[in-house]
Amino acid sequence: MNGSRVLRAEVFPILASACLFLALGAGFFLLEGHAPVALFLEMVKSAFGDSFAWSETLVKVAPILLCASAVVLPAKLGLVTVGAQGQMNFGAMAGTALVLSMMNGSAWVVLPLMLLTASLGGAFWGAVPGVFKARLGVNETISTLMLNYLALQLVDYVVHGPWKDPSNLGWPASANFPDAAILPTFFGSRVHLGLVIGVVAALILHVLVTYSRWGIALKVMRSNQRVALSAGLNYERNVIIVMAISGLLAGIAGIAETSVMQGRLQAGLAGGYGWSGFLVAWLSGQSFLRIIPMSILVGGLLSSADALQLFAQLPSSSAIILQGMLFVSALVVMNWVKLRGYHA
Amino acid sequence: MLDSSAFNISDLTVSSLRSSTPILLAILGETLTQRVGIINLGVEGQMLVGALAGFAATLSFGNPWIGLLVGALAGVLMSSLHAGLCVGLKANQIASGIAVLILGMGLTSFYGIPYVGQKIHGFHHLLSAHWQTVPILGTFVSQLTPTVIIGLIATPLVGIWLYRTRTGLIWRSVGESVQVARATGINPAFVQVQGVLIGGFFSGFAGAAMSVDYTRDWVENMTGGRGLVAVGLVIVARWNPFLALPAALLFGGSEAFYLRLQTAGVAVSPYLLATIPYVVTLLVLLVSYYLANKEGGAPQGLTAIFR
Repeated sequence: MNGSRVLRAEVFPILASACLFLALGAGFFLLEGHAPVALFLEMVKSAFGDSFAWSETLVKVAPILLCASAVVLPAKLGLVTVGAQGQMNFGAMAGTALVLSMMNGSAWVVLPLMLLTASLGGAFWGAVPGVFKARLGVNETISTLMLNYLALQLVDYVVHGPWKDPSNLGWPASANFPDAAILPTFFGSRVHLGLVIGVVAALILHVLVTYSRWGIALKVMRSNQRVALSAGLNYERNVIIVMAISGLLAGIAGIAETSVMQGRLQAGLAGGYGWSGFLVAWLSGQSFLRIIPMSILVGGLLSSADALQLFAQLPSSSAIILQGMLFVSALVVMNWVKLRGYHA
Repeated sequence: MLDSSAFNISDLTVSSLRSSTPILLAILGETLTQRVGIINLGVEGQMLVGALAGFAATLSFGNPWIGLLVGALAGVLMSSLHAGLCVGLKANQIASGIAVLILGMGLTSFYGIPYVGQKIHGFHHLLSAHWQTVPILGTFVSQLTPTVIIGLIATPLVGIWLYRTRTGLIWRSVGESVQVARATGINPAFVQVQGVLIGGFFSGFAGAAMSVDYTRDWVENMTGGRGLVAVGLVIVARWNPFLALPAALLFGGSEAFYLRLQTAGVAVSPYLLATIPYVVTLLVLLVSYYLANKEGGAPQGLTAIFR
């Protein structure tokens, strides 16, 4: 009896979301004149088929996981932030500033300092909407979305202006990072330290939020501000702290992409990872533990889109469409189940 | 002979109006949507879809009016997803809006590829022959394009409709309280669906106004956050359609201003100048929140979802 209830509450929504997503995806492929089943199988193979496929998927998991944590932590305080995209850009810019000033430094000095400045840069870009929210009550969803565009323009400015490297033959980008500024990678693949940081951060945050006094305080502040106030909890200060940590995580994702994947600062470094992180956080019900497997799934979806490009000549933006379809499928099923629950 | 400084002011006004128009239309639509108690962050996605659909239709039919209509209808189609999710299934409005935004970005990047680099003629300037002979005002009016005029006419119409008609009153009452509205015999879900769809119509039209009438080309993500800026400016305008024009001019005016600075050869990077409209909007949003902390003015139904 209990087992069937778990089945209904946990497994059914996941299966139904998956089915709806596959149906929408199949429709999209059919519209483009491709046999859906063969294409789906090709996608799974290219995301998880062999060790190279896995390594390319994990490369994408790193920024997604960090950006998902950047969404989940503020959610613990009831905040909806969509600023990871901008924080990645600003963090990468801060980290690049350090690298460009220490082109001949040793890795032991440059790498920690690069991670530190990128973290601080991301934390700053996260704390700004936090301060707006805490001091003036400015809605954090709107301000983070707008700051995304501002950060993007600032990166555009430095790579077209002061940091433009003439050896790039007109291409707007900074100088190439020296070897000392490339994050360590593992297993002879492009899987980098960012993935380790992402997993460790999610686990630490899970423990902190679930078991620490601070985590309980966040829960109290989220659910009942009056009780929180009488318990002497400072909501405003915690808004800023939570937003800064969120930005810090995205900032690390930004410098990792810049250092390992791009090798220099250039526009578009954040890809769509901020959006993917937001999607993963929602699909996981804002849980630090569930975002880890969910990031792997969405990372697999992104790397299989590369295969779509190869096998079906579909442009890379098909990955964004598929993520949008996944989001819609999950929202439809989750809320349909919830509505039925209320009526029953 | 025209005074050159007067000409410049009229010139700047025209270019401000032209770059404000897409945002103005998006603000009007989002104001109506938020007035029935729904927030739609998907405006950006709807604008993109409207811009691409409108551009493609103009290219294949050779008629910019058809382009505007197709763009608006494409916006309605995108917003129907938000309406279904939020009103039909009571989904989280922020999440649903972001889903529409992501879909809009993906679909337009994907299907927009063949249209990159294509050019259309757009509208022949309206009335130009007649008006150019009238001093001062003539040059001004002759430079206005159809979508600018549509935006300027739509603003007071939406305001009068919202504040002075019975249906406007019904819409506002749904935004204040779904329960009270239902008790008085209104079907709130029906009104809310209409509110979201009309918002989709306006934002799709806004996107098409941009690609068909303003830039006359299609570029990936060409709206550059204008849909999100519009959502912020709805708050600045205190959900009042009459204030939509000054709010839109904050962004459009500073855009026209920095483009002028650029052509005047100011020794500042164009990339840095391009941040001005976004910085101005953000600052005004802060001031607006600071002032509103004393007043309020948001539809009551919104405050639970969105503070």
